[in-house]
Amino acid sequence: MTEVWPNPKHTRIHEVWPLIPAAVYLVGFLVIVGVYLLGLSLSFEKGGTTVFPSMRAVGAVFSNPEFGHALVRTTLFVLAGTPLELAAGLFLALILYQNFLFRNVVRGLFLIPLAIPALVTATLLFILFDYPGGHVNIFLLGKYGFFPAILHTPVNWRGSAFFALGISMLGKVWRDMPISMLILLSGLSAIDPELFDAARTMGAGLRARIWRVVLPLLIPSISAVVLLRSIEMWKEFIFPFILAGKYDLLGTLIESLYNDWGNSNAAAVVALVLVLCIMVTTFLFLSIMEILRRTLVKI
Amino acid sequence: MRIGSFAAESTKKALWAASIVIAVLFIVAPLYLLFKYAISDSASINTGGAPIPLWPFHPTFRSFTYLFSDSQFYGVIFNSLIIASCTVGMSMLLGVPAAYVLGRFRVPGRRALLLGLISVRLFPDIASVIPITEFLIKLRLQNTYTGVIFAHTLLALPYVIFIGMSAFESIPGDLEQQARVMGAGGFSIFFRVLFPLALPGLAAAAIYTFLLSWDEFIFAYFILGLGKISTLTLFLKQKLAYAPPQNLLAAISVLLSLPVIVFSLLLQKYMTAGITAGSVK
Amino acid sequence: MAEVLLKAISKRLGSNQVIDSLSLDIKNGEFVTLLGPSGCGKTTLLRMIAGLEAIDKGDLVVGGRRYNDIPSQHRKLAMVFQSYALFPHMTVAQNIRFGLTINKTPAETISRKLAWALDLLRLAGLDDRMPRHLSGGQRQRVALARALVLDPEVLLLDEPLSNLDAALRETAMEELKRIHHQVGTTILYVTHNQVEAMTMSERIAILNAGRLEQFDTPRVVYDAPATRFAASFIGSPAMNFLDGTIEVREEDAGVDTALGFIKLDKDRFGRAQQMTGRKVTVGIRPQNIAYAEHHESKRYSDTTLRVSVELVETLGDRSLVVSRGENGAVLRFLITRDIEIEPQEMIEVFLDGRRVHLFDPQTNSNVFVS
Repeated sequence: MTEVWPNPKHTRIHEVWPLIPAAVYLVGFLVIVGVYLLGLSLSFEKGGTTVFPSMRAVGAVFSNPEFGHALVRTTLFVLAGTPLELAAGLFLALILYQNFLFRNVVRGLFLIPLAIPALVTATLLFILFDYPGGHVNIFLLGKYGFFPAILHTPVNWRGSAFFALGISMLGKVWRDMPISMLILLSGLSAIDPELFDAARTMGAGLRARIWRVVLPLLIPSISAVVLLRSIEMWKEFIFPFILAGKYDLLGTLIESLYNDWGNSNAAAVVALVLVLCIMVTTFLFLSIMEILRRTLVKI
Repeated sequence: MRIGSFAAESTKKALWAASIVIAVLFIVAPLYLLFKYAISDSASINTGGAPIPLWPFHPTFRSFTYLFSDSQFYGVIFNSLIIASCTVGMSMLLGVPAAYVLGRFRVPGRRALLLGLISVRLFPDIASVIPITEFLIKLRLQNTYTGVIFAHTLLALPYVIFIGMSAFESIPGDLEQQARVMGAGGFSIFFRVLFPLALPGLAAAAIYTFLLSWDEFIFAYFILGLGKISTLTLFLKQKLAYAPPQNLLAAISVLLSLPVIVFSLLLQKYMTAGITAGSVK
Repeated sequence: MAEVLLKAISKRLGSNQVIDSLSLDIKNGEFVTLLGPSGCGKTTLLRMIAGLEAIDKGDLVVGGRRYNDIPSQHRKLAMVFQSYALFPHMTVAQNIRFGLTINKTPAETISRKLAWALDLLRLAGLDDRMPRHLSGGQRQRVALARALVLDPEVLLLDEPLSNLDAALRETAMEELKRIHHQVGTTILYVTHNQVEAMTMSERIAILNAGRLEQFDTPRVVYDAPATRFAASFIGSPAMNFLDGTIEVREEDAGVDTALGFIKLDKDRFGRAQQMTGRKVTVGIRPQNIAYAEHHESKRYSDTTLRVSVELVETLGDRSLVVSRGENGAVLRFLITRDIEIEPQEMIEVFLDGRRVHLFDPQTNSNVFVS
C-alpha cells in the first residue's frame, strides 16, 4: 500500500472532528439497542402502566409454547440451511475454479441472485410455489412434456411447516449462495496447484488429494462460510415472513409479537434470545473448528 | 482442473459442462419466470386448471400500465425515491468526512472504531429494529420520513465509511504532498485533489446506499407500517397479503429490481475505464 | 532403480509443437540432466515422465513397463518441484511421511524410513517444524527427503536449485552427488544452468525448442558439441562464432573469416580438404584463445590473428577481453589477472587449431561429428 498518512506525527482535535458523527453513531446505536432491549425485556406493561424491573415478560415468553416451537424450528432451519449454503457455494466455486471461455460472464451471472432484493425473491417463490397451480407443482406433476411426473397430487407448499420453511430456506440459499461462492473460490485459488502435482507423484489418488490437501487448506474458508451463513440463518426474517407466515421462526415471532400483539416486551425478550443464540453458536463453532483442524492434519 | 488427473478427460469435461448448465439454469430460470409473469395477460395466469404456459399467450405490459395509472402507486415510488435520496445525502454527509479522516490519518483507536462498525452490522436487523422503532416512537418520529431516513442512515453508515475509507486510502500520498508544495491548504486539497480522485469509490458507496434504502423492508415495515407513508417494498408486501394477481406482483417486483439492474449495467461500463491511472506521474 | 526409455515422444499444445519426436535412453542408476533455455520443453518433458502431462505420441518405457497410460499416482516415480511444493499445513515429518502413509505402509517401516531420510538429508531435529519456518535450503532438503523416502525407480528434479543463492547452490550440488552415490536411484535433473549440468551429470541431454541437440557425457559435450546450439549453450563465457568458407592455403586447411584465416589441426586436414569452398560457421571458445605476449601461449600457435582491444572485464582471477578485428568481427578471450592490456591496443592472439569447431550454417550441426 502506498504512503497513506502524510501527517503521521500528531492528530489535533480539529483534524479529528469529522469522526465525531461516526463515533456518536456507534455509541448511540449500542446504547439505544442495549438499553431498549434490556429495558423492554425486563419490564412488563399492564393496562397502560409499566412495571420495571420485572421478569414477567421473560416468564411469559418462555412459557408460551409458540416460543418453544419457534426456537426449535429456527434451530433446525440453521442446522439444515447452513450445510446447504456451503454445498451450493462449493458447487459454484468449483465450476468457476476452472479457467474457461466466458468465465467472467458466468461469474457475473452467478452473482446475480445477490443483487435481487430479498423481497423480490420471496415474492417470486410465493408465485412459483403456488398451490395448486404454480409452476413448480405443474412441473413436478409432469404436465410439461420434457420432464417426467414425480408427484400425483400438487403439494401445498405454504400449508405445512416443513414445506413452507423449506422453500424459505431455498430462497435464502438461492439469494446468498454467491457470497459463499466468493469466499470458497478465493480459498481455492489460494492453494498452490503444484501441491496437487506433488501429491499425485507421491501416489495420492483423487480421494487422497481432496481429503489430505484440498480440505485442510480450505478449512479457513469453509469456517468463514459456515460461521457467517449460520448467523444469517438465525437472523432470517423476510423469506419466512412472506412464505411461512403461520410457522414462526424467531425472527418472524419477534415481528408477530410486536406488531400483531403489540407486546414490545415479549418481542424484546425474543430478540435477546436471538442474539444469545447467535453468540452461543459462534462460540460452539469456533471450538469445534479448533478440534477439527487438529484431527484432519494428523498423518 | 488441476485437482484431477489428465486421464478420462472427456467424461470430466462432460460432467463439468453439465454442471455449468444446471447452475446457470438454476439462477436464470427463476428470473426469467419473474419477467414472464410481469408481462403475462390474465389468461396466462388464470388458466382454470390447465398448466401455466412457459411463455404468455398474449404478452402485454398491462400490469405496468395498470400500476402507473394508480395515483397511489406514483406516491409510493415517489416516497421510496425521496427516502433513498435523503438517506444517501445523510449517510454521505456523516460518513465521507469520517472516511476521509480514517483513510488518510493515523488516528488512535482507529482499529477499535472499525471493529465497532463491523459488529454493528453483524447485529441482527430484526433484533435492532425494535429498539430503534421504540426510540423513534419516543421522539414521535414513527410514520415520518425523518424516522425512516434516520433508520436507513443507521444501516448505511458503516458501509459508506468502509468503502469511502478504502477509496481515500488508495490515493497515493505523493499527490497530496505535491499539492501542499504548490501551496494548497487543507480544504482546498480535499476538494480539488482528494475528493475528485476518491469519487469513483464514493460513487460506489452512494449507489450502494441508495439500493440499500430502496430495497429495505424490515425497518420500513416497522416504522411506517401502520401509517400513511408507504414505500415500494411495503406496497408489494401489502399486495401480497390479499391474494393478488401474480402478474401485478411480478410487475411490482420488476420495478423494485430496476435500480439494481440499471446501476449494474452502468457500473460495468465504468469498471472497464481506468481510474487514477494517469494522474500520478 | 530403473532405466528410462523415451521413444519418439511428441507433444503439441495448441499450435505449438512443444516436444518434437524426442528419443532418449537413460540407463539404470544414471544421473542425467535435461539442459536447455526457458521454453525449450524440458520441464514439460519431465512432467510427461512424471505423469502430470499427457503424451501425444511416442512411448515412455520405465523399468520395462510402458507408462503412457498409467496415471501419475501409480508410477513408481518421485518428483521434486522448483518451488518444493511442501504441504504448508503439515510438519516436516508429516510431509516426508505423506507418500508412505498414502500407500498404507506399516507404521514401523514409516518411522524407520523417516529416520533414514532425516539423517541422509541432515534434517535432524526439524521434524516438527512447519514449512514456513524453514530456510530455502532446508525446504529443498525436505522436498528431496519426501521424494527419496518412497524408494522411487526414478527421481525427477525440476530446477531444484534455482531458488538458492550461489553459495548454497554449490553445497546443494555436492550433496546431490553424494546422495546419488549413496542411494543409486536413476536421476533425471532439469535445469537451464549449465554449470549444474556439467558438475553433476553423468550424461547431459541438451534440448532446444522441443528437440534433442545432443546427449552425451559432459566432457564430450564440451569438447565435441554436436550442434551450434550445444556449443553456444555449454561453456562460460560463451563460444565465439564467425562465418567463413573452407579453404586450403599452402599446407593448411582452414576457414577464411572476417578476422583472417583460421587454421585447423593437421588431423582434420584430409576431411577439410574434401569440403573446400563449403560455407561454415567457425566456433572457438574464449578459453582456447591465448594472448600472444603471454609465454604459455606458445603452445597454441596454429593461427595468429591481429585484433584491437575494445574493453576488458574483470571476472575475478581472470579477465574477459572483448576485441575486434579489422572488419568488425568480435572475438572474446580470457587472460589471467597479471596481464595488463589497454583498450584500443592492437594485439596478437593465438588460436588452437584442435579446438576449432565447424558448424553447417543451415543444419547447425557440427561438420566433423556424424
